[in-house]
Amino acid sequence: MNVRGVSRPTMALGFGALVLSLATLLGLPTPLQTVAALIVLVLLPGQALTRLMRVTDLGLGALLVLALGLAALTAVSTAMFYLAVWSWQACVITMGAITILACIARARQEATS
Amino acid sequence: MTSTLKQPGSTHARLWGARDIWCAVAGAVSLALAVGAATTVAVPVNSDLGLVGVLPYPFWAGVLLLNVTFVVALRGDATGPARRPVMLWLIVVLVLILFGTAAFVTDAPRGEVAFRHLGIADALSNSGGIDPNIDAYFNWPGFFALLATVLRATGVDPVSVALWAPVLNMGLWLTALSVLTRYLTKDPRRRWLVLWIFCLGNWQDQDYLSPQAFGFFLYLVVVVLLMGPLAAKAPAFRGFKRADLKAWWLARTPAEPLPGRRISALVVTLLLVAVICASHQLTPFLVLIAMTALTLSGRVWPSRLPLITGILLVLWLVYPASTYLSGHPPLADAGLQTAIAANVVDRTTGTAGHVLVVQVRIALTLILWALAAVGSIRDWRRRRLDIRVVLLAVTPLLLFPVQAYGGEMLIRVSLFALPFIAMQASSVLLPTKGSVRPSTRGALVLVPTCFLLAALTVTGRFGNAQYDVFADDEIAAVAAVDRLAPPGSAIISAAHPTPWRSQDYLAHRYRTIEDLCPSDLSAATCGPLIYRYAKHNSAGGYLLLMSSAESSLVVQGQTSQRNFEELENWLKIQDGVNLAFSNGDARVYRVAP
Repeated sequence: MNVRGVSRPTMALGFGALVLSLATLLGLPTPLQTVAALIVLVLLPGQALTRLMRVTDLGLGALLVLALGLAALTAVSTAMFYLAVWSWQACVITMGAITILACIARARQEATS
Repeated sequence: MTSTLKQPGSTHARLWGARDIWCAVAGAVSLALAVGAATTVAVPVNSDLGLVGVLPYPFWAGVLLLNVTFVVALRGDATGPARRPVMLWLIVVLVLILFGTAAFVTDAPRGEVAFRHLGIADALSNSGGIDPNIDAYFNWPGFFALLATVLRATGVDPVSVALWAPVLNMGLWLTALSVLTRYLTKDPRRRWLVLWIFCLGNWQDQDYLSPQAFGFFLYLVVVVLLMGPLAAKAPAFRGFKRADLKAWWLARTPAEPLPGRRISALVVTLLLVAVICASHQLTPFLVLIAMTALTLSGRVWPSRLPLITGILLVLWLVYPASTYLSGHPPLADAGLQTAIAANVVDRTTGTAGHVLVVQVRIALTLILWALAAVGSIRDWRRRRLDIRVVLLAVTPLLLFPVQAYGGEMLIRVSLFALPFIAMQASSVLLPTKGSVRPSTRGALVLVPTCFLLAALTVTGRFGNAQYDVFADDEIAAVAAVDRLAPPGSAIISAAHPTPWRSQDYLAHRYRTIEDLCPSDLSAATCGPLIYRYAKHNSAGGYLLLMSSAESSLVVQGQTSQRNFEELENWLKIQDGVNLAFSNGDARVYRVAP
């Protein structure tokens, strides 16, 4: 994979997920924790997954960020409850991993195109 | 990705004009008037008309000013409506006024169910697993799993989330609807008007912290995907002969030319459907109906999508939800007569004010449906009727006779139809030729229409405020019961709604007097039933009597204030019954085992 072909937003998204996941797990003061957790649990995974779809329409893209982020978090949380392995920290790690994996997949798309 | 319909005159290039600035300022003034007025309302609300009976006139001045401003902004000038930020700001103000009013009146969420949903999320996070034997919620736990994760990870106050959930949910719904309208019309005025009417017609009060509100958002996103990247272009319909049908079906073409994008949209749709199936009982059926109708009309490209959705739905019912369904057959209370009795007849009883509120809700629904019908005829005559909108407006009705759904099916059906009803109703309220500035006369019709709808919606939405808006004393009484009652004890409230079960969801047996005495609430008949129920519980019982719950019984015609006082007087002189807590709006009695 040609790393130079990877766009800055993809790199920023991946690194952002990594940093914010760690920050959320370590704990931040209340308003920052709320913002960081929402970004790492909903917005970043939603954005990373939406970018895989190569959506060109801005409105549809914004809607899918919200919908995919919320749907993915629901699916992950529900599965963890059924498997009796749920903790909010495990959800943060999983959603961070989903974001990074989606960024890697997107980077591959960008490197080959 | 499939592009939306481009509007003819872009509003981006224009500079801010005096009209834009005045409209933005007027929006702010409307908000200040309405919020200022709402904060003066005393709780508990002392009117069987709900908030509409106690909101002071500046609130209505704010609502009127906002609707006048919206119509002025919508008219705009020859190039189009006011600038997009102005229109968006006005929508935000409308949402805050119509859906945030109660949050400006009190710090406690309205109604009982939001508290209960917080309790379920709390129970899930404490147990870390799902026991489907507890109740129906644990057979469709998707939304509660999401809520539990978000509340624990963010550390945000759960009650604040529930308090502002209507505003947040409306924001999500409107985001989806705004994208949806871009696939349906090129006229920017019509798009803004659809959003406005959607807010004005949204009396159903289903936007609280709930799985159905979340499910409705995902439903709208699925419809967006069906209208966008998964859409098909169908040729002119030739007839119902087999050969004609086959030729018509085979002549369909995908709206999105790139197969990769169609596949990714399909995967997203299936993920959303799976999450909807895991989160709510009713919504997957409405998704399936909408999807099937659009597919049969030739407007959806992946023709097997309804089949796959049906399989996902059945799999969820057969496996994770089987525990609940084995004891609750889904068609047990089917039938049109049962549905009408549960959804209409049983709801039109009570005091004169309450009956008026119910009639207002019915009238608002009928007015919107009538406008939509006229709009559809008008569009059909002008050969611009979009069959997809009609199908999505009408098909939710198919579920009405299938299940009474606790008397709420008509409410749900009207909510799912509302976006498309608003779409068709907007056809009547705007000039027949698309993208034309409404005349002064047209604007003079639009202002009172919008104001009337707003007044009816405030009446309908907040019509139960006498018993679903809680005073601080009542919240304090519930907290006292939570503190006093040992695990295993029975907690008995007078009626629904009671703001309980937000914690210790599984620790107590929760009952209401109306549950224990469904037919007769007199002291002679009901008193012994309640007393015996509490007394025979091994950990004893706590009787929670609040002003709002008492009002609920009186307003809905189940008892009178005098009868209720007699019942309380009978109970409090029984052996082992002691007053454990009291304040201005509530009393808590302990019943020793």
